[in-house]
Amino acid sequence: MLVCFLSTGLLNCRAGQQPATPAVPDAMLYRKPVTGDFLVKKSFYYMRGTASISTVEMIVHRPEWERHMTINAWTRGDKNSIFFITAPPKDNGNGTLKKGRGMWIFNPKINRTIKLPPSMMSQSWMGSDFSNNDLSKTDSLLKDYTHRIVRTETENSLKIYTIDSTPKPDAPVIWGKLQLEIRQDFILLKEVYYDEDSKPVKILTTGDIQMMGNRLFPVMWKMQKAESVESDDSVNSKDKYTLLIYKKIKFVPDLPERLFTLSNLKNPGKRR
Amino acid sequence: MQIQIAWRNIWRNPRRTMIMLTAMIIGIWSMIFLGGMMRGMMVGMINNGISTLTGDIQIHAKGYRDDPSIEYFMPDLKGIEKTINKILPRGSRYTSRIRVNAIAANARHSTGVTMVGIHPVKEPGVSFIGPGAVVHGRYLVPGNNNGILIGRAMAEKFGTKTGHKIILMSENIQHDIASKAFIIMGIFKAEMQSTEKHFVFVTSSSARHMLKLAKGASEISIILPHHKGDKKITWNLRQAIPDSYEIHTWQELLPILTSYLKMFDGFMYIWFLVIFIAMGFGIVNTTLMAVYERMKEFGLLKALGMRPWLIIRSVLLESFMLLVIGTAIGNCMGFLTIHFLSITGINLTSLSAGAEFAGLSRIIYPVLYPKDIIMANVVVIGLGLVVSLYPAVKAARFTPVEALSHE
Repeated sequence: MLVCFLSTGLLNCRAGQQPATPAVPDAMLYRKPVTGDFLVKKSFYYMRGTASISTVEMIVHRPEWERHMTINAWTRGDKNSIFFITAPPKDNGNGTLKKGRGMWIFNPKINRTIKLPPSMMSQSWMGSDFSNNDLSKTDSLLKDYTHRIVRTETENSLKIYTIDSTPKPDAPVIWGKLQLEIRQDFILLKEVYYDEDSKPVKILTTGDIQMMGNRLFPVMWKMQKAESVESDDSVNSKDKYTLLIYKKIKFVPDLPERLFTLSNLKNPGKRR
Repeated sequence: MQIQIAWRNIWRNPRRTMIMLTAMIIGIWSMIFLGGMMRGMMVGMINNGISTLTGDIQIHAKGYRDDPSIEYFMPDLKGIEKTINKILPRGSRYTSRIRVNAIAANARHSTGVTMVGIHPVKEPGVSFIGPGAVVHGRYLVPGNNNGILIGRAMAEKFGTKTGHKIILMSENIQHDIASKAFIIMGIFKAEMQSTEKHFVFVTSSSARHMLKLAKGASEISIILPHHKGDKKITWNLRQAIPDSYEIHTWQELLPILTSYLKMFDGFMYIWFLVIFIAMGFGIVNTTLMAVYERMKEFGLLKALGMRPWLIIRSVLLESFMLLVIGTAIGNCMGFLTIHFLSITGINLTSLSAGAEFAGLSRIIYPVLYPKDIIMANVVVIGLGLVVSLYPAVKAARFTPVEALSHE
């Protein structure tokens, strides 16, 4: 079972081997009192890097079926990213470009790019538990929330901070609250999305932290509906999740701007 | 004397006459009752249509009706309002709105809605929305920049309440995605559940802010005093307002409703005819029976030298009397039923899902139109006499020999 990888107990089994990595200057951590804003910002850029190239396997799991997809992704800064599906062959070439707050999808079968209208933003991306909004508003975490550390725990001599992120009053955010768990080396362990009645809606957990692309990085990312959602869902919510498994990730200083253009989205020849 | 004879003839077989009368009464009662019901439905549908943000007349920028997006807005609102003020009769009301399709979302749900930016003070007289429609919380106030009113059905579906957030997403004037957080100020109720699910209201200033619209609006809706004179005023407006705008009456704005109303009219007359055909056979049958029963009598009258025309007349007179009594009682019953039903209305709440589909209100108040009553009575009495002509002619044709030899 893939789930067992995700339990926090196992998280550090590999991470323990790499206590001092170049990406985590411990001195910086303890120079001043750690604040929520600082941790979230650091964590965001740590996980995302200034630019990255990665290959991810996405598994959409449902009680009756399971779907595997392989995705190649490029990200740059906090706003730009482009992904292509490479497998299964049926979906090969399907692309998503995200630039600023705009999102475009490309379907090679109809040879057309579509700018996602607002009506599709809250729909799921490629049938997964991630919505288009989750992808398009990645930097919303930095912009739209105020962060506060509510709890600090120590596990295997690494501190884990629990942070409550409350949306700013006018921020266009559907969640009532987010709760993040960030390890002292800035690795995001858990993200819980709450509604306005403080009931959890979705839970993102990461696990199997390994050395990848010159830094410690969680290989498994799992997005799951919370169990208390709705009565008809609750039975199966354990069996309904989307798992991202990073096969490869490389962090680079920068990527050329031309990668994140509509023509690159459309033209599969150029990008490989 | 003829009348007296006819009257006595009718009551020679009271049971048959009573059966005949009952049939007529039920027939005419159902015509009036159904007519009233249908008219009530129609009036309800029209009122619903007009008060659900249609109004008697609407003005849009050209192109908006084909593609209701923010890009077809009316920039020169002030100028148009000035023109309208000159043309509209006293007692008219109008308001401008910003109206775009949007997605409303909270943590668990999302749905497509029509976001309507309204002027909180001018709106209430023009459409159904206003302080009176709000069942929980408060109505919008001018200048409020993050309040939103949502419908009761939508609030139930979203599992939300006043004070909670709703995020609206739409396309702004630059074709980018605009999203804004609104706090639910109030929950409104509407005649139709679909209205409660479909519309959300914000102030026009907050809608402009969200859509990056400096000024202007997407529609102007006009209500005329007593809903009268829409065609003429529309014509006047079309003369006065430049071609880059479109002006429509509600009949044009709600084409489905308009054709539905026409269909209803036709449907009603067909219904009248169907009832009558059933009744007509009854009339012919009974009168024919009565005539054959009295064959000897007619033969004798003939032998005494009575003219056929007079026999026809006496038979028709009998039918006429029956018809008049029948319609009189039927009308009275019809009026009474409608009168009582129009006090409470016919509650369709239990069927509301189905009734909604047809655009009906939850409660129907039957309405009587004089033309329907006249139509029903004319149909019954007129055609009743026509069909009685057949037995009457039959009676007039009996020859004395034939009649007297009949056993």
